[in-house]
Parts: sequence; structure tokens; C-alpha cells
Amino acid sequence: MRLSRRAKTLVAVAAAVAVIAPVAWFWQASLVPDAYSVADMGRHDHGGHAPGGDASTVPVDELTAPDDREADVRLTLTAAQERVTLASGRDFDGYTLNGSSPGPEIRAVQGQLVEVVLENASVPDGVTLHWHGVDVPGAMDGAAGVTQDAVGVGESFTYRFVADQAGTFWYHSHQVSHEQVLGGLLGPLVITPAAGTGADVDALALAHLYGGRRTVNGRDGEDRVAAEAGDTVRVRVVNTDFGVMPVWVDGAPFRLAAVDGTDLHGPPEIEGKGVEVAAGGRGDLVFVMPESGAVRVNLSASAALLVGEGSVEASAPPDDVLDLLHYGSPAPLGFDPASADREFAFGIGRRPGFLDGKPGFWWTVNGAMAPEVPMFTVAYGDVVRMRITNDSGEAHPMHLHGHHAVVLARDGVAATGSPWWVDSLEVRDGETFEIAFVADNPGIWMDHCHNLPHAAEGLVAHLNYEGVGTPFLIGGPHGNHPE
Amino acid sequence: MRVVYRILAYVIAAEVALQAAFMAYAIAGLYIWVQDGGVLDSAVMESEDIPFDESVGFMLHGINGMMVVPFLALVLLIISFFAKIKGGIRFAVILLLWVALQIFLGLFGHEAAIFGLLHGLVAFAVYGTAFMAGFRAKKPATEPAVGNAPQ
Repeated sequence: MRLSRRAKTLVAVAAAVAVIAPVAWFWQASLVPDAYSVADMGRHDHGGHAPGGDASTVPVDELTAPDDREADVRLTLTAAQERVTLASGRDFDGYTLNGSSPGPEIRAVQGQLVEVVLENASVPDGVTLHWHGVDVPGAMDGAAGVTQDAVGVGESFTYRFVADQAGTFWYHSHQVSHEQVLGGLLGPLVITPAAGTGADVDALALAHLYGGRRTVNGRDGEDRVAAEAGDTVRVRVVNTDFGVMPVWVDGAPFRLAAVDGTDLHGPPEIEGKGVEVAAGGRGDLVFVMPESGAVRVNLSASAALLVGEGSVEASAPPDDVLDLLHYGSPAPLGFDPASADREFAFGIGRRPGFLDGKPGFWWTVNGAMAPEVPMFTVAYGDVVRMRITNDSGEAHPMHLHGHHAVVLARDGVAATGSPWWVDSLEVRDGETFEIAFVADNPGIWMDHCHNLPHAAEGLVAHLNYEGVGTPFLIGGPHGNHPE
Repeated sequence: MRVVYRILAYVIAAEVALQAAFMAYAIAGLYIWVQDGGVLDSAVMESEDIPFDESVGFMLHGINGMMVVPFLALVLLIISFFAKIKGGIRFAVILLLWVALQIFLGLFGHEAAIFGLLHGLVAFAVYGTAFMAGFRAKKPATEPAVGNAPQ
């Protein structure tokens, strides 16, 4: 039997609808509203518990540092969008804080109260400051649309927190962060112990790519710090970029004294090996200046901090990379990860689909694309375990706000070295990490990839405390877009 | 519709050639940049601010390959339902499958280089299928007029 022309046309139309309809349905289902609360988005995951019955909700912006305490360190940072000129004379369109990028180094002594007034002179999208690695009170985290509104042009916001942790940190905007961090809206933050670090020279090596070229402390290629033979030198490496950075030292053996602002326990001397600093992560290197009086700290193959006088020839990056799983000696964690109250899975994948109407291959968390990402819910005091798996084809430096987590195992191999506390953990494709932390800092916290374009492409989840809510909106009148 | 089908098929074939050209352009730019002292590492690759102009070729390859080509292949399939070309639907379906495979191979190439090798080979399958689809659509399908169909 042959179909009539009309019937054939109908069959063709039906076939076309069969192809177009599912695509159109997926497209419209992916559209997100112009304004929404992170508290309402995604899938609530209670880590094996029933949802808490705590009806009283504290707004996250009420979780502040004590109001009645005088600030010990106080400064104003004025953000601007402008043409930035580096010391080398190279210039580019970017962002400054108090006229420079990176912004000024903030130094505090452990226990001091830090107060920073952020003013926005001319950044049209608005700005915030996130204190990367500092477990600040919930209201002070600087995540636009989550813990505050983006600070518009002519507006200001005051950040106050007690610098409880001694270590190397940095601050950066968390509004349209994949653009603003790339453009230089960032700076270093160092908190030293009251008794000092024991180093004769305490130097910063903040690496950042401006216009695709790596700088150290805002200088193209190389920066130099003075030191004499016999001096103990602590170099605080900060990786503000979106990819992992190999770091190695020519001229002296060194110790990796701290990772992500937390001292390692009993770190032995390293020679002929490199260390890797994850995107957003920090590593403190300690060494004694040799008689030659010159050491070169390589920050990838394109930049270095030169310590002392003279020069040391740069070596090739070592093939051998320090494995932090087995570096240093064990020490008590202060809690028992074996008796976890909540267990979560953070599975990273990738699949085709629409992200807010845009077709592409997008990241997934536990199989779902943004905004259907998990909201991990905890109660104050819980011991939390999280299994991070990456089957997405690319590496992801995972950053949990407001907490430090300890690495328990990688790919089933238990950590045997010093407690390895992280806030920015490089998770390579195919890897599985077991981490644990204590839920001791109430708030709503982002937990995202610090390859910030990946976060903008949906690789974001949140950690929420029972009884804490947010009055802020993603989008909305302030145009909040934390990623 | 037959003409639209034909043009679209040839456009997809041309897109494959463009894809190769974008990559060759970007890689040539990368080579020159490295020769001039540029250093490519993870952070530079992940940065959206790659410091040589020809890197636009990588971006165009990605956008073209992951959005434009699959969109055109999908449109070709829809057109094929109406175009009354003998084997037209079959070729459009095969082309769409090749394109889907090609995208996966392109992304898997970030995990294992062998997929990159296959990505290069499958490009010829996409090209060949698109070209053949266009070529075969040259003549209208020999179809008896309605009413004269043999019973």
C-alpha cells in the first residue's frame, strides 16, 4: 500500500515534531528564573538523615563577628574597572583595588579582628570580597546572592572577621568571579602566629596570569626578595589562576611547611621533587639560604621568585611530584571521621544538554546539571564525610567555603602522612577523594570548582546548615552572579 | 526542500573543512608563540585569556563543532523528512550519528590522546557522509505520481 501525498506530509511533520519536541522540552526545562534563592534550588541532600525539624531560620547575614570589638587591622579597599599597567609597562583591561592589581597585601596577627571596607568606584557588575581559605562567619563570606548582595557602583560593604587561623590566604571578588578574578580583582592575605613563624624572611609569591602571561606579585615573570646566606626563608605561594601550578626550587632543598593555610606536621626536606598548588590553593615553602646566596622558586616554567643576590639557572620541572597523601608524619585530627554523622557524594560528570537554554556539554553534580545541583544539609557540630569522584574528563580544583576538610584517602589509598587539610583540592579525572570535616561554622556555603569558568558552567553545589536561610537572590535587582 | 537539503549537506561538509582549518590555524599560532618564548601550562590553557591571537581557532573549533555542526545536522534530518530524497533520511541519520560520535571523541581526547586520533579520522566520515548526502540529492527521487501507483 502506498501513502497518499497528504499522509506522507503528515508522517514527515510527525517525524519532525518527534525530533524537535524533546529538544524544545529540554531547552525550556533548563531555563532558570531571573531571580531565585539558592535555598530553593537543586536537590536537598541530608546525608542519610531525615530533614531537620528546626523551623526557626536565622538569616545568613546575621552570622557576623562580634560588633562590640574594636578592629585591630582596618583598611578600605576601593575597587575599580580600568586599564591596568604592570610594573613592566604592560597594560590590559582589568580591575584594581586601591589602584593596583593585585590589591594590597593584608597582614594580621592570629586573633586580631580584621575590618575591611569595600567600596565600588566603577565596577558596573558590582563586586564582593571572598576571603579564600579563611573560615569567616557566614555573613562575611562575600558570595554574591548567597551571603550578600553585590556591592554596586558608589556603594560599600564592611567585612569583619577574627583572624583565627594562621596561614596564607587570599581575597578575591565573588561576583561574576570568572571574569573579575581573571581581570585581577584579588589580593593576598597573610595571618601570622603571635609568636611569629620563625622565618628570617617571610615572602609572598602570588602568581597570576594577566593577559595570559604569568606574573609574580604583579611583576611580569620574576620578582626578587632579599635574603642572606643562613637565613630561614618562608615563601608563601598563592595560585590565583584556574589551573594547577607546579612549584619547585633550584638552589636549596626545601620543606612544604603548609598547605591551604594549615601547617603540615613534621614535613621532611624535599629535593629534586616538585609540589603542585591547586587553583585557588596555597603552599608555604621553607628553606635555608645556601652559601651561594641565591635560590630560585619556580612557579611553573614561566615565572619565579628569586631569593637573595645573583641568579640560579632554572631547571626543567621535575617529573617527580610530591604526594601529600604520604608526606610528613601523622597527628591527631581533633575529631573522628569514622563516626561521621552525615555522608555525602559529590560526583562530577559531564553530559550534553542545555544550561539556562544554552546548548553544550556541561558539568554535572551527581548526574544533574545546574540548577539541579545538591544542597548538602548539615546540623551544627556534625562530623561530615564527603566522597568526591571525578569522571568528567577534566581536572577540577574543588573549593569548599567556610571550612577546611582533611583528606582521608585517594582512590582507596588511605592518607598516612601529616593531616592534609585543604580548602582547594585538585581532583583529577578518574580520581576519588574521601574527605571529612566538622560542621562548625553555620551558614550557607558554596562548594564549587575553582576553575572559575567551570563554576560558571554549573559546577557548583552548596552546604547549608539547618536553621540558616538566606534573604539574598541569585540575579534579582542587584544582578548577583557569584560564579 | 531537495535543494535546501542539498545545500545544507554541502555546508556541513564545508564545516568539517573549516574545523580542520581552525585547528591548523590555532596550532600554527601556538607554535609561533612558544617559539617566541611563550609557556603553555595548565593555568594558561584554563585561562579564558590565551595570549596569542590565533587561539581564537581553538574557540571557533569548539563552538562550531559542539553547537553549529550538530544544529545543522539536526536541521538536515528534519528537512530530510520533507525532501523526498531516496535514502535522504538514512543519510541524515547516519550523519547525525557521526556528528554525535565526533563530539564525544573530541571531548574524550582530553582524557586519552587516542580519541583525538579517532576524532581526526571520523572527521572524514562526517565529511564523506555529508558530501554523499548532498551529491545523492542532486536528482529527484524517481517516484510514481500519486494515482498512477501500481496496485
